[in-house]
Amino acid sequence: MNNILVCVKAVPATTSVQVDGQYRLKREGASLQWNIADESALEAALSLKDKDGTVTVVTMGPPKLEAPLQDLLARGCDRVVLITDRLMAGADTRATAGALRAAAKRLGPADLILCGRRAIDGETGQVPGELASALGIPCVSNVEKLEWEKDRLLLHRRLETGVEVLSARGPLVVSVCEYAYSLRLPGILSMRRARGKTVERYSAADLGLTAEQCGLKGSLTKVTAMESKFPGLRNGPKETDPAKGIQALRAMLREVQP
Amino acid sequence: MSQEILVLCPFGLDAGLLSKAAELLPGRVRAFVPAREQAEAALYGANIIHTLNCGEIVDEAALADLLAEKLKLWGSSIVLAPATIRMRNLMPMLAWKLDAGLTADCTALEMAGSDLVQTRPAFGNSLMASIRSLSRIQMATVRPGLFRPAARPNPKAEIIPESCHIREQRLRHVAFQPFSQGKPLSQAGIIVAGGMGVGSKEGFRKLSVLAEKLGAGLAASRSAVDAGFAPYRCQVGMTGVTVCPRLYIAVGISGAVQHLAGMSGSEKIVAINSDPKAPIFGYADYGIVGDWETVIDQLLKEELS
Ligand SMILES: Cc1cc2nc3c(=O)[nH]c(=O)nc-3n(C[C@H](O)[C@H](O)[C@H](O)COP(=O)(O)OP(=O)(O)OC[C@H]3O[C@@H](n4cnc5c(N)ncnc54)[C@H](O)[C@@H]3O)c2cc1C
Repeated sequence: MNNILVCVKAVPATTSVQVDGQYRLKREGASLQWNIADESALEAALSLKDKDGTVTVVTMGPPKLEAPLQDLLARGCDRVVLITDRLMAGADTRATAGALRAAAKRLGPADLILCGRRAIDGETGQVPGELASALGIPCVSNVEKLEWEKDRLLLHRRLETGVEVLSARGPLVVSVCEYAYSLRLPGILSMRRARGKTVERYSAADLGLTAEQCGLKGSLTKVTAMESKFPGLRNGPKETDPAKGIQALRAMLREVQP
Repeated sequence: MSQEILVLCPFGLDAGLLSKAAELLPGRVRAFVPAREQAEAALYGANIIHTLNCGEIVDEAALADLLAEKLKLWGSSIVLAPATIRMRNLMPMLAWKLDAGLTADCTALEMAGSDLVQTRPAFGNSLMASIRSLSRIQMATVRPGLFRPAARPNPKAEIIPESCHIREQRLRHVAFQPFSQGKPLSQAGIIVAGGMGVGSKEGFRKLSVLAEKLGAGLAASRSAVDAGFAPYRCQVGMTGVTVCPRLYIAVGISGAVQHLAGMSGSEKIVAINSDPKAPIFGYADYGIVGDWETVIDQLLKEELS
């Protein structure tokens, strides 16, 4: 039997974003989608779960995530949990990890906690490690393949120079790479099983968190300035004669080659 | 209170980051490096050098525990590490233990009084955020290879050997399969990147021969990866790696914003594209309008002669 908890985040579905007066991403207008690496983590969990195992999904975000969470039930997840509270707005990675820890404690022991390796909006990849530390368990990041080997997990972790294979004993946190697994579609059987199941909602109070521990107040980093920076136009010269072009490229290569 | 920067490089020194620390707080830099890199740490400005002498560390959580204990003794007020995959895993664990705010993958650092102002790109490079920590200890990971190493020899650096006894192995090393292409993209000085215009796996093979000859890294656009021309680890952009080489050669790449997000920080950008209207030319320092294969074949020929 194995119980797997998957932490997912909804991110704006566009690449042009707006920020408010406190440098928080404006999420109201933007349509949301599950972060791509988190979908990979979800599928990893669904394929690792055994007959008696469960996959529980937890996310922190606005109430409108109920529908997309419901959809995850139809894809085979057993339980879906939404942490939602105005107090949580503006959370940095630490405040987020704090909320996820409280939810994980409340949900009961998991053998494995999966996260995406980073979100495409903040791109910090810090929540998995902070969450693991908060729970006192190890964390292995950047994993592209997970498989059971009796009661241990074989993890294939992509580092800069190659793939490291590790054998791990739970409980632990693993962050999964985008595109490693592609999330299955809703199935007839899962849809039938999902019927009657609802999204469980937790507020800060439900998790025993005070206003000081949540959101902007519970954060230890503060954005003090933000500027939008679209890559600057360089508008360099264009060469149509390949021979001349190659000559110029050669010169540039000589400049940078040791 | 007097400030001190700790530069954490237990898996390998980032000389540029150490130089940057020495520039931010001259004379008050502590480094934690593998024993074999002691001399280099002294060369790039560390005043106190902790040399780690132990076998392969597999469990970064265990190392984070050890460092949290040490930091209580050292009292460093700023902790920096290169944003490598392993350190980006270790630093959040350490930050939690130290009740410290942590900023990921910074591209600029600056002191404002006793505050470390950390600048990082967000949302696919379209926003640059300046961030300050609200905690006593300020922590950041910094994009590797971003700062150029500047020698500041310090022959009087204090050397403190450290050992680590990680007893319980919740994680065990099983195997390591190195990528055939040696250098990580994030540290390559030259990158040859191919897009859909390259058209096939065979085309990419040509690019990889050129990359090897130039001592360059091989990269690809997402479309080229999706088409199976190159493996995912080569993908540059919003959903791939971010790179900042001295020279980025974009071959048959149109220049979509999601691709630009990963390479627009390159020092020099050269685009080779048959379409004179391709957006990539606008973001390039130099463009060659024409068929990629003609250009690359000619370059290869010259390399051989
Ligand atoms: C959420 C999201 C995330 C994304 N993340 C990424 C990412 O991380 N990285 C990324 O790269 N993309 C990403 N994309 C995809 C991106 O939008 C583009 O589709 C992609 O970058 C295009 O790749 P390309 O330039 O190789 O192909 P194309 O846009 O098809 O361009 C091919 C180019 O090759 C040129 N060409 C054709 N034949 C020749 C020839 N013989 N010689 C020379 N030139 C020739 C053409 O003129 C054209 O400019 C993302 C998209 C989304 C929606």
